[in-house]
Amino acid sequence: MFDWLANPNRFNRITEKIQPCILFITIITLISGLYFGLFDSPKDYQQGDAVRIMYVHVPSAWLASFLYFSLAISCVFYLVWKHPLADLVSSSIAPIGALFSVLTLVTGSLWGKPMWGTWWVWDARLTSMLVLFFFYLGYILLSNAFERKIDGSKTASVLAIVGLINLPIVKFSVDWWHTLHQPASIIKIGGPSIDDKMLLPLILMIFALSFFSLYMIILNVKTKLIEKKCEALLLKSNLEEISKTG
Amino acid sequence: MSLQSSFIQIFISHIKREFLINFRSLVDVTSITSFMILIVTLFVLGIGPFEEKLRLISNGIFWIGLILAIIPSLEKTLQRDYENGWLDQAITSPTPMELVLLSKSLAYWLIVIIPLLISLPLFIILLNINLKLIPWLLISILVGGLSISLIGIIGSALTLGAKRGNILLPILIIPLIIPISIFGIGISEAVRINETPLDNLFLLIGFTLIYMVISPFISAFLIRIAISR
Repeated sequence: MFDWLANPNRFNRITEKIQPCILFITIITLISGLYFGLFDSPKDYQQGDAVRIMYVHVPSAWLASFLYFSLAISCVFYLVWKHPLADLVSSSIAPIGALFSVLTLVTGSLWGKPMWGTWWVWDARLTSMLVLFFFYLGYILLSNAFERKIDGSKTASVLAIVGLINLPIVKFSVDWWHTLHQPASIIKIGGPSIDDKMLLPLILMIFALSFFSLYMIILNVKTKLIEKKCEALLLKSNLEEISKTG
Repeated sequence: MSLQSSFIQIFISHIKREFLINFRSLVDVTSITSFMILIVTLFVLGIGPFEEKLRLISNGIFWIGLILAIIPSLEKTLQRDYENGWLDQAITSPTPMELVLLSKSLAYWLIVIIPLLISLPLFIILLNINLKLIPWLLISILVGGLSISLIGIIGSALTLGAKRGNILLPILIIPLIIPISIFGIGISEAVRINETPLDNLFLLIGFTLIYMVISPFISAFLIRIAISR
């Protein structure tokens, strides 16, 4: 299936058709999710209106981790089957994933101020999200650190896969560290008993942000494809000029 | 049998080579230790000379000093061999690159750990570390140092030929090292509050074993990419 999609022209043709659908779903779910989240859902009995931050915070946290997973998977495709498109996909995912992890940290911090009284708590989940952000950052920095683009892509792909092995260990060790240092002083957010009226906007927002990032990734990949085409054309015209004069 | 013994010979010869290069001058031996002493001094200056405070955080300071002292020297472990062409020779030789890298990381571990073990009494005095902590601290440095050098080889291979590799390396390495520092500090922390340190120790050993298996393969793969440029 991926073999079939790896042809850039075919990719362009297919995404041409599905891109408007994705945009449509994004807009519909985003508007309805925001409406249900901001106006038509109950206040939390403890947290009041501040609980509405959850409708952005939880989906972006989920997406930050999911996008890292897909980044590493597409890096595997790039290293094993050497599809150039897979590299474009992973380098398009990286900034979006990094953005979502920053968004998670920022919204978490905004949520933390009224709930915990400080902007930042060294909570296990916050800490591992911070580490996830640095994995994204490392990938982006390393892929731009070489003179030839292809060296950067290969090396950074290895880093992404090492990160995929390491992230569960980091997550586990940070949880472990947290239980060692602090007793559970923080209110467990959400929990198993979540109201149906709160679950609906949450699910809608998860869909909205997932489709939004899918749309952005496709857009990114297409831009990079055009960039590559321009480079090739420039090279070709330069060569022709040289052959004419020489 | 002969294959096994030849492997061991290769192993020993590589470790010998690394020792020859790294212990050639006294400066190389003392640089890591003196750097660590300076980091510890900076920490104490930043926190203030209060004994109760220092007793609480001395383990953490010691580990941060250890990690920060190791990282700058990591960069040149493979860079030097890459620049003078030794790696090209090593890759064409019949010895598997993975074995070479495993022995390289073990040699690096010994090179870092021996000066630290010699200067450990100094740190115990400087940081007022409790005497009952010392055996656990020793074990945690030994095991943790091994996994840091195994991860360090990966980092060193990642930044081979990269622009500004010396700045990039800490950014890539420190997130990978976080679990080690958590378990390593956890060992002495558990002893300090009179709990069993064995959980942390076993996790640290397990983590080190995982990296012992995967690190040579990953770094060999990266070196093949770097050589093929």
